[in-house]
Amino acid sequence: MNDKGMNQRIKWAYGVNQWKAGFTSFARLEEIERALKVTAACGFDAVELNAGSGRWDPIGRPENVAINYGSAAHFRLKLAELGIHRVASTFFDPTVMSFEELHFGLMSTVPADRARIVAQARIHAAMLAELGGEVLVVRPFPSFWKEGGLDDERMAAAAACWNEVGAMAASLGLKTALHVDALSALRTVGEFERLLQLCDSDHVGLAIDTAELTIAGHDVVALYRRFHQRVVHFHFKDALAVDTLGEYRLANAERAMIAAGGEREVPRWFGEMGTGLVDFPALLAAMRELGYAGWVVVESDKGPEPIASGMMLNAWYRQNVLEPVPAHAQR
Amino acid sequence: MTTDKKLRWAYMDHWRIDTPQGQLSQYTSVKRFDAFLKQISAIGFEAIETFDFHLGPLRELFGSLEEARAFMQERGIDRVLSLFHAVMYDERQSAPHVRATHDHIFNYAQHIMRSSQGLGVENFIVMPAGLYYDVEPVTDDKLRACAELWNRVGKMTLEYGVKTCCHHEFFCGIRSAEQLRKFYEWTDPRYVFLCLDTAQHVIAGVDPIDLYLKLHDRCGGFHMKDTKHVDLAGDYRRKPDAEVMAPTTPRWFHEMGTPGGLVDFPALMAAMKECGYEGWVGVEHDKADVGGGNYPESTALSAWYIQHVLKKIYA
Repeated sequence: MNDKGMNQRIKWAYGVNQWKAGFTSFARLEEIERALKVTAACGFDAVELNAGSGRWDPIGRPENVAINYGSAAHFRLKLAELGIHRVASTFFDPTVMSFEELHFGLMSTVPADRARIVAQARIHAAMLAELGGEVLVVRPFPSFWKEGGLDDERMAAAAACWNEVGAMAASLGLKTALHVDALSALRTVGEFERLLQLCDSDHVGLAIDTAELTIAGHDVVALYRRFHQRVVHFHFKDALAVDTLGEYRLANAERAMIAAGGEREVPRWFGEMGTGLVDFPALLAAMRELGYAGWVVVESDKGPEPIASGMMLNAWYRQNVLEPVPAHAQR
Repeated sequence: MTTDKKLRWAYMDHWRIDTPQGQLSQYTSVKRFDAFLKQISAIGFEAIETFDFHLGPLRELFGSLEEARAFMQERGIDRVLSLFHAVMYDERQSAPHVRATHDHIFNYAQHIMRSSQGLGVENFIVMPAGLYYDVEPVTDDKLRACAELWNRVGKMTLEYGVKTCCHHEFFCGIRSAEQLRKFYEWTDPRYVFLCLDTAQHVIAGVDPIDLYLKLHDRCGGFHMKDTKHVDLAGDYRRKPDAEVMAPTTPRWFHEMGTPGGLVDFPALMAAMKECGYEGWVGVEHDKADVGGGNYPESTALSAWYIQHVLKKIYA
């Protein structure tokens, strides 16, 4: 296949996660409408939703979508009216508290939590399927500071959990993608290897988040080349620093390392594509070379105001740097 | 550049950027200007319009205006389409209705023409009269004085390949339908053009589509923006400032497509199509940050409106 053909196999979307900075933001329907118009104006006609909680998250849960838009089918039409023609995926993190499911965070590594995780995942997967989406993206492990290093038992428990989620999602026509982040209890390439061995290759694959994995010390191009047969999803954002001090171990690392920047007071870990450490042209060339056919979800994942700026800069980079990358480009 | 598009979109640049140093202009560093250009390019704009006081910073940042333009073109922005002439309106030196100040205004305009070469400028945009309260009562003689000045300036700028386009703020001395009629009747159609600012005309009680249909052969450019208010309280003559200080209306200007907007953009596009307009269309939203808004989001929302509403009517 020629380069143009390859490019057509990659489908671009944008994550909605950057818009909800807190309880008051991204809560009014007109804010959501403006955000999605900005997304469409930037040339992204598909989005990744974020599984949320609470009445102030109108597009984070099916019952909220029903209250605010009538039904998932109606919401889909509303999205199309705004220029968003696909919902690609939904991101679901079971360690986040849920008002609706009455928990303060569930652990995939704890067998007793498995049924509740699967039940909660099913709620989001069902809405995603109704919206025409394809990939349920999940956070497979809690943060290292909560979980500690993985042993065989907990690795097996998590794999069993995601296999069950994978089978459930597959019954709805969805793939499940495991999204390992910078704070994850899963740290090493060997652990990736082990996890993928334990997971059902028919239903459960890997999501590569370029920034999260770079911050965690991985070479994302090498990681993709090694596991490309199992990679079913990408998040594209840049990393502006690497966690060289191993601060993922800090208590409350979400706050201490990510929000506060750790000992070095890193002002911002995530950046717009092309501003940091990720070699996107090399990664895209590898993806084309290896025939990646799936979604690439570009993310801002917070960042300085105004949010539209980060999205517009990512749009420029996609149009002017990434789309012209040929399959044979070398690092 | 060859294109089969009838319309190309330009962005009138009022941006300010929140930085750790406070709110700054994007002309304060190459990096900030770079990010600005990429953002507007990504959503489909192909030129910028700016103020003539940005010529100095551009020259300082890039060494020359030719190099500034090359930098812009690498990011997808072809030219500085228009320069808005920042005249210090004052009867002591520059007031279009005061003939004694005409030489000063003319010489300043000529200086801008000489010093702006290299950017690809096509339009020189001016407010054709001072603030309303400085001009009133607006007499025919004052309108004729303004017409004389801009005939003279317009002839000169054409020698540089640039059209002089008059932009009628709602608080400008030439604002009503009747004043506009006389001004364009008394100016030479070869030398003086209209920059149709949709919101400003609506605020002033003038229908911009009707004005366009009457003056379309004089129309050298557009500033497309919306408003939710017609000035019914005489804010246009309010001292010291009608635009940002009027107590009746905290924010006059909004992006195209804003709910409650009064400008009928689909009708304007239909009129442009009917009149066969081809060329640049400028989008503007000055004061987009009033009340907590921001320039990038307003610009992207305008781009959405162009892509999803206006282009379906005329492109």
